[in-house]
Amino acid sequence: MRFSIDLHNHSCLSPCADDDFYPSILALEAKDKGIDMVALSDHNSTANLIAFKEACDLVGITGVYGMEITTIEEVHLLSLFETVEEALEFSQIITKSLVKIENNVRLFGHQHIVNVNCEITGEVDYLLYGPSTYSFEDLIGLILSHDGLAVPAHIDRPSNSALANLGFLPAAPYSAVEMIHLDRTYLDGPYPVLQGSDAHTLNHVGRRRTFIEGPRPDFSTLRSALEAHKVSYPA
Amino acid sequence: MANIAKVAEALGYTVVTMKDPERNVSGGYAGDLLSDVMGHADEDELLITIQGHKNTVAVASLLSLTAIILCNGREALQDMIESAEAEGVAILQTQETQYQASVRLDGVLKALK
Repeated sequence: MRFSIDLHNHSCLSPCADDDFYPSILALEAKDKGIDMVALSDHNSTANLIAFKEACDLVGITGVYGMEITTIEEVHLLSLFETVEEALEFSQIITKSLVKIENNVRLFGHQHIVNVNCEITGEVDYLLYGPSTYSFEDLIGLILSHDGLAVPAHIDRPSNSALANLGFLPAAPYSAVEMIHLDRTYLDGPYPVLQGSDAHTLNHVGRRRTFIEGPRPDFSTLRSALEAHKVSYPA
Repeated sequence: MANIAKVAEALGYTVVTMKDPERNVSGGYAGDLLSDVMGHADEDELLITIQGHKNTVAVASLLSLTAIILCNGREALQDMIESAEAEGVAILQTQETQYQASVRLDGVLKALK
């Protein structure tokens, strides 16, 4: 069977996302847009993942639990886990390694922690853009050693990407790479290519997606499909 | 004292936005890693960079930088221009490299002293 996945999305926790873009709204909207597996991957924090998991369970969509980590080179790297518990445990390592600068809400935006009912329960006071003190290649290894999927985000973007910040895509055991625009050079390359919405507002949800082949819309199917390059894209 | 209007004119770079031509220019900082810029650039300086997006303006505004010089012909995204107008941060643009812009700025600031 073919399943629709979207593994890059933010919530109101990310400073750049809309304040009313709650994790529950992401889960609902993704379901409505026909997505079978959806990830929440806020910048350098997992503080909204518990609310997101509850929402995914209520809505009946498979959640993937992630973060978009900023490496020391300011490259954005997605870490994706099967369970909230794994993601939360991994985030402790990242949180410790972040360069913490006080957030200026007027300039960067709010970083709200919310519950499944879209009620604000807290706010992260340091700027979540990072960076972490881990290098790109070290983080790839660290994510994989914690059973996560390591996916360089939007490698074709002119900022905060492997190609822009490192100059090239170093050979490393990526689970996949994410692109905004599909490029034959990479489609024919050694890594499966994913397209994710990188949604920061409600109307971004589902704007890009990838299909995977497998028996069920779950994490083991996702892992196998990526290993076998069984991915495709909307026409 | 050098203000941004005089500096921009002497450099001959394209002015993308300049809401406050009287703002003082004290020096420059060249860098593309915004976390490094946040830690090291000082008030009233010009940021010499290739980062043509909105976050650059947020960093510039946080540090009270006077302007951003976009090098290597990098274009400012529309939301960057809007944000710079709102924050009163000027944006200049040039085909020159960051090295060339740094050298040129140094010469201009010495001449305007």
